[in-house]
Amino acid sequence: MKTRPNIIFINTDQHSWDAISAYGNTYLETPNIDKLHKNGTSFKNTYCTDPVCAAARSSWTTGLYTSETGVPFNGGTLHPDIQDIGQILKQGGYRTFHCGKWHVPGRNVRESFETLYYGNNNIGAGGAAYYDSASTHAVTDFLTHYDEKNPFYLQIGYVDPHDVCEYLHNHEEKQIPNPVEQGILSEHDLPPLPENFNYDDRETVLHRVCRRVDDALIHARILKAVKMWDELHWRYLRWNYYRFIEKVDAEIGSVLSLLQQTDFVDNTLIIFSADHGEACGSHQLFQKFALYEESVRVPFIVSCLGEGIDVKRDRFNNTHFVSGVDILPTVCDYANVEFPATCQGDSLRPLVEGKEVTWRDYAYIESNYWGRAIVTDQYKYITEYKPKSFEDYLPPGPNDAQLGRAQLFHRNTEPSETENLSDVPEYKDIVNACKIKLFSHENRLNRQQIVQSGAQRLISNWGRRLQEYWERGY
Amino acid sequence: MSTQYRIPLHWSFDYNHGAQKPDYANELITLLQGYQTKTQDVEAGHIKHTYRILPNFWRGYSGRNRPGESLGIGSAVIQRHKKLDKVWCYNVQYKNSTSGENALLQFRCNDDAYRTLTGNWKATVTNSGQDIYANIELKGEIKNDKQIELCFNRTEITIEMENHALPLTCNWGLYDVIPAIAEKLRTKGAAVAISLLDDLEQLRPKCQIGYLDSIQDPIPLDGYYLYGTGLLPSYWWVDESKNVVIVSTVFETLVLHEYSGSST
Repeated sequence: MKTRPNIIFINTDQHSWDAISAYGNTYLETPNIDKLHKNGTSFKNTYCTDPVCAAARSSWTTGLYTSETGVPFNGGTLHPDIQDIGQILKQGGYRTFHCGKWHVPGRNVRESFETLYYGNNNIGAGGAAYYDSASTHAVTDFLTHYDEKNPFYLQIGYVDPHDVCEYLHNHEEKQIPNPVEQGILSEHDLPPLPENFNYDDRETVLHRVCRRVDDALIHARILKAVKMWDELHWRYLRWNYYRFIEKVDAEIGSVLSLLQQTDFVDNTLIIFSADHGEACGSHQLFQKFALYEESVRVPFIVSCLGEGIDVKRDRFNNTHFVSGVDILPTVCDYANVEFPATCQGDSLRPLVEGKEVTWRDYAYIESNYWGRAIVTDQYKYITEYKPKSFEDYLPPGPNDAQLGRAQLFHRNTEPSETENLSDVPEYKDIVNACKIKLFSHENRLNRQQIVQSGAQRLISNWGRRLQEYWERGY
Repeated sequence: MSTQYRIPLHWSFDYNHGAQKPDYANELITLLQGYQTKTQDVEAGHIKHTYRILPNFWRGYSGRNRPGESLGIGSAVIQRHKKLDKVWCYNVQYKNSTSGENALLQFRCNDDAYRTLTGNWKATVTNSGQDIYANIELKGEIKNDKQIELCFNRTEITIEMENHALPLTCNWGLYDVIPAIAEKLRTKGAAVAISLLDDLEQLRPKCQIGYLDSIQDPIPLDGYYLYGTGLLPSYWWVDESKNVVIVSTVFETLVLHEYSGSST
């Protein structure tokens, strides 16, 4: 690598880590993401910082966890004193471009980046059907015209497969026959139900109130609809989800094909990831907002289609825990630009180059403000903080007395996460070790008070609902 | 649109989610009941169908919170004529106020039931939004029956045609293909395989078209489905005069607003 590279960060939305054909999934075809893997390294132990768009994206752009950014769910506002990746790289001499979905509340993308395309009325949460092809057009326009001396950083935010949310919303007001009844597919065409279609009945109160009860805090109307579904409907959800991914894969393919015809190909690093995953029927869940693998584990590939950048190719890294906070330091490392010392992430560059390096031995995830998870080589520990009796809007931190229910899963022997070991006496020490890891991690966070009034209202309202369940003795 | 229609719409195009104001069903049915009386000027021998695009998605479209106005977020105008009795020349204009993109697509098809793409084609897409992307130009052609060559702003890429044995048409040609093969689909029951070049740029190599259902209300229509690799199911409803009247996808519904000329 003679000069500082161009860097393209391609991200999809709601894309589970295993929904890629190169990873052995036979229910979809993703030849273009496969191409990225063939020309790069896939980090298979990658976790989002928070399984919801805005929160996860606030981590991407700052290198901070969501109790630090001010965006602990699809709301809040990024604290104004936190620098984002666009500002940091710009100061370091890069031209910084954004295209497509942004969804970081409180930060005007047009001030931090030069925007190639951001919709006619600013892109919100969804809308892949319109925005993704337009984003590809915008990148096409850019790649065929850019002739500046400065290297560029370009982040392309594709919305799909997030449009699976629209597919789900479509079930709120009407009954859609399953595809076999419709006569358009046979049972044979559909992916099977996930192995973990069943779920642990000792989930956290937070999760149950958000996702399980009839008046669930999140998407209760969709929940009501899916409770009427038969097995074929669930399988059809999976079938549709995979078509959405194929669609965005084709968009990525257009960008890659074009990049390969330009002079940028040798000196352009490509990072591919997703903000969070999709439950897609696992644990009888839809969408995200959960701490199960399908919602929190995401693809992460570092790739170069040319020869100018040292990237280990066609390789899986199954050992290192990667997090959404690692995007910023990785990009800055390649760009040779300093990043804030407060950043929680680490550069993946040594791992991409096949070097030995000391690395964290777990992933830390937050969810729905009170939810927490620690993922280690062998176990996943999921827990929750109970709402405070007096809410001060400081995201909950290391406090044993405030902890609620817990789940412990053995990742190696029971990766489907349905057998909760947290109350099994033999695993008491493991639970304690996970708790220590959680508190130790949270002691290093610079948790900041949520200041946006809308987010405060939501925390208060949700907190009251949770409190009711705790008082009633769930 | 003062009348409130209560006819339950077919599930494939019922997007009256309640979040949408003005009322989706009302607007859709009004369009359906009016398109046969609307006329538009076209040259002799030309066929023209004009569609209004209604949003299926529950939020975020430009018409929200503006009760009384149309839900429409854009339009599609498909104009074609037969040249020298053997080639159909298409001119498609697509405008979408949500994406901000306006596209003009020009292509030619053979005079067969599948309107197979022939010759070369071009597309110009402009962005009416405020950002850097202003427009792209695309030219394309099929090489050796096995490859599609596309040229974006003078940069060429090649797409291998995986299933080059299947007929290849543009998605906008389906407005003639589906009516042409409708009877076969309805009576034989078997789906037909086809390849699509979506908006003249994205190859969808393995698509299926089949018969879905027939309805009498709000007007008599026969429905067909389409899906494929990278292509979510869409539903195409054809009237007794062989006009495609409704095309419904996950995200939008195109409803025929005006037409001139015979579709087949």
